[in-house]
Amino acid sequence: MTVLLQSVALGLLLGGVYALAASGLTLIFGVMRVINIAHGAFLILAAFITYTLWDVLGIDPLLAIVITTPVVFAIGWATYKVVVSPVRSAPMASTVLLTFGLALVLEGAMGEIWGNNSTAIRPSYADESFTIGGIFLPKAQVYGGLIAIAVLVVLWLVLTRTWLGRAIRAAASNPSSAQLVGIRTASVAALVFAIGIAAAGAGGAITGVLYPFVPGSHYQWIARLLAIVVLGGLGSLNGAVLGALLFGLAETLTSTYVSPSWATAVPYAIVFAVLLIRPQGLLGTRLREDAVAT
Amino acid sequence: MTSSPAATDTGGTETRNRVWAQPIWLGRAVVLVAAIALIAFPLASDDLYYQNMIILSLVFAVGASGLNIISGFAGYISLGQGAFLGLGGYTIGVLAARYPDTSIWLWVPVAGIVAMLIALILGLVSLRSSGPAFVIITVAFLFLVQVIAVNWVSLTNGTAGLTMPLPDWDLALFNMPFYYALVAVLALQVLMTWWIRRTKLGMGLVAIRDDETKAATIGINLPAEKIIAFMASAVCVGMAGAVYGYYLTFIDPRGMFSILISVQLVLSMLIGGKGTLWGPVLGAFLIEPLNEIANNSWGGGNTRLFLFGGLLVLVVIFLPKGILPAIESLLSWRRTRGKAGRVGARIGTGGSLASITDRVQVVDRSEIPDRPLLEVKGLQKHFGGLKAVDGASLVVPEGSITGLIGPNGSGKTTLFNLIDDTIRADAGEIWLGGERIDGMKSWQRAHRGLGRTFQITRLFREMTVLENVVAAQRSFSLRGLTRVAVSGAEARAAEELLEFVGMRDFRDQRASDLSYGQQKLVELAQVLMLDPKLILLDEPAGGINPVLIERMGEMIRELNSYGKTFLIVEHNMPFVLGLCDPVHVLGRGRTMATGTPEEIKNDPAVIDAYLGEDFQLEEGARR
Repeated sequence: MTVLLQSVALGLLLGGVYALAASGLTLIFGVMRVINIAHGAFLILAAFITYTLWDVLGIDPLLAIVITTPVVFAIGWATYKVVVSPVRSAPMASTVLLTFGLALVLEGAMGEIWGNNSTAIRPSYADESFTIGGIFLPKAQVYGGLIAIAVLVVLWLVLTRTWLGRAIRAAASNPSSAQLVGIRTASVAALVFAIGIAAAGAGGAITGVLYPFVPGSHYQWIARLLAIVVLGGLGSLNGAVLGALLFGLAETLTSTYVSPSWATAVPYAIVFAVLLIRPQGLLGTRLREDAVAT
Repeated sequence: MTSSPAATDTGGTETRNRVWAQPIWLGRAVVLVAAIALIAFPLASDDLYYQNMIILSLVFAVGASGLNIISGFAGYISLGQGAFLGLGGYTIGVLAARYPDTSIWLWVPVAGIVAMLIALILGLVSLRSSGPAFVIITVAFLFLVQVIAVNWVSLTNGTAGLTMPLPDWDLALFNMPFYYALVAVLALQVLMTWWIRRTKLGMGLVAIRDDETKAATIGINLPAEKIIAFMASAVCVGMAGAVYGYYLTFIDPRGMFSILISVQLVLSMLIGGKGTLWGPVLGAFLIEPLNEIANNSWGGGNTRLFLFGGLLVLVVIFLPKGILPAIESLLSWRRTRGKAGRVGARIGTGGSLASITDRVQVVDRSEIPDRPLLEVKGLQKHFGGLKAVDGASLVVPEGSITGLIGPNGSGKTTLFNLIDDTIRADAGEIWLGGERIDGMKSWQRAHRGLGRTFQITRLFREMTVLENVVAAQRSFSLRGLTRVAVSGAEARAAEELLEFVGMRDFRDQRASDLSYGQQKLVELAQVLMLDPKLILLDEPAGGINPVLIERMGEMIRELNSYGKTFLIVEHNMPFVLGLCDPVHVLGRGRTMATGTPEEIKNDPAVIDAYLGEDFQLEEGARR
């Protein structure tokens, strides 16, 4: 029983971190219909930046988020302007290939800079845990999960309570009409891409503390994140959060009760199952396609 | 020059074909020289470095060319194609270890069949997904296969990998058996690709790429065609993978199922030109040597990632169509520069269908049974709270030209969409010729005699006018799919219909180059190719000039005299009321009135809801 409880608690904490990372992916898709395959690579990039801040400057890795996130935000903004915006109107499959290429370039760059050896960020509390009623909760997991939830809440408030958030949602539901009422959709798109990447960056800073990583880890991450957003419904923020929590649970339980090596198969199996049974995901909606004149 | 196959091809516009003949011969000469060089190379040189490079290029050429069928023709970009190379390799590895006494070459075709069967499964699983969801599912498929190869140790020996038996032939032959086996597989692959593109199947695949929903309405059986395309795109790749595995002598899950192999295949296809016959092959022979050089001379690893990633980004941004299509459009631009094209030419006057073909006969009115051809009962479709169609019922008598009018938003187009299953109805019944069709898919309804044009024309933009018309499929059978479409009987029938609508001179134009009015005419010819009993026309007179409107009316009347029944949605009142009888009026998703044009004109409820008082005043003034 305690094993089960512990798995559930860890799964939910992990789910919070996944939710943060996946929210950026679903946000970018919702607003600009681009599936950013490089999302996992940006996440690992943030982990490496956090590693350097911790290793060289001795800054606490979880506090370093306040530095990492703006840096990754800027990188995301520049990436959008240089690489993504020229192909905004291209078919979706082209942008998938483009961002895939971007992921490969980032992987190569990280390999050149930080090397391809396994990297781990180990702050002083890495081996400590809280004990609540016989359940062991590692401190890093608890702090990471709570920070992720806090960042998510801020993101949610920005999207629902500010003018920027309304502009983003307007641009998401109908770009040309949004333009007509005075929203500069090009700027909104760049901003959304940067915010989405920054969310992945915040998630990457946290996961860097939880797991060791190599540049090639981004494949595993993009698989996870895609499984989460497909499960929740592409473009739905609430769906991504729900999907992330379920996914965190599924992964932790498989790893506890089956074997860690099969846990890596969970995301692919989920993608298959969801697209087979309910292609629009848990909270996604089907659009009325017939009335959309092109 | 006149003996070129292009010029003799079904006759037609000779001037245009002569212009084409030269580059076609040039292209064939290049292919011939390349093929001879490829076959002669190992005989002329025993440089193992280059032999190895060509062998790997051949493997990737087969992979990219296979990928071209599902991704280039059907438009479903797959990042899981590398899995079929790996599956081929594992098939031969596992079987060679189990049956050491059997000749290992026997397992090469078996590997092709295994790859084809797994492609069938992937096809079934991914049928409902499209666009990015499809790309994701193919990546998930690749990783899933890899995870299984790692974990199913009893079959695959896990991460430790499998070792192949050593070649049993005379060592003086070196790699020649591998080399020529791959040349043969590539030849098979290219031949299959060439053949598919010329058949009804190929037309259907390209139609699916351009507009899948529309493709279904002209009788294309989407799941069957996609699954066949999947299997066709895997079979040769599985065989090439088997030879590749044998050649490598050692295979493991990391190497065989690396995502980079799939990326390289996609990249080869894109760089060479997707949807072309030789583009993927050319791409593979460019990329694989580059890959080898990156691995051996530039440090491998990260350099390879930079190379592939960077190329992928650059190709998507700067060369989205690929090398061969870019060369082709450059050549055609140079040839036609300064010469007027056919765009802007006047539409032909058309002609009576009877003078063009002997297949139509005027039907004796009295012989048409007095029964409904189409019957719609209580049809419903709600979009959330919006009741677009709310219990509509109507009857289209056989042999009639029935009109359907109503205010904007009254549900006319949605009703059409429900009748041809572009969207599925929530409730209600649809009967066509005494058969209930509301449970059927679009293509099944098309095969039962339902044709439909769209309000905003939906031709396949990347196809020529002729290809657009021959893409329609009257019925479904595997044999039917293998029929050649671009010449012979199919093409002749299509040309007759194009002549009828006055668009024959435009047969080799791309549909996207046509004007809106011209597209309407081609779409009508396309629907007629189905030989439908009932034709639904959505605003045939909308957005075209008065002369063309008149011609449209004439064509509808002539087709009607051959026994075709029409249901027409139109806002042009003189057109509808002059042509149609009976006329149904739709309001708020229901049929609110039915009658002869005279009755409708004077129905107070219809005047109030749609026509307005002005209509009567204008009618009066005109008299």
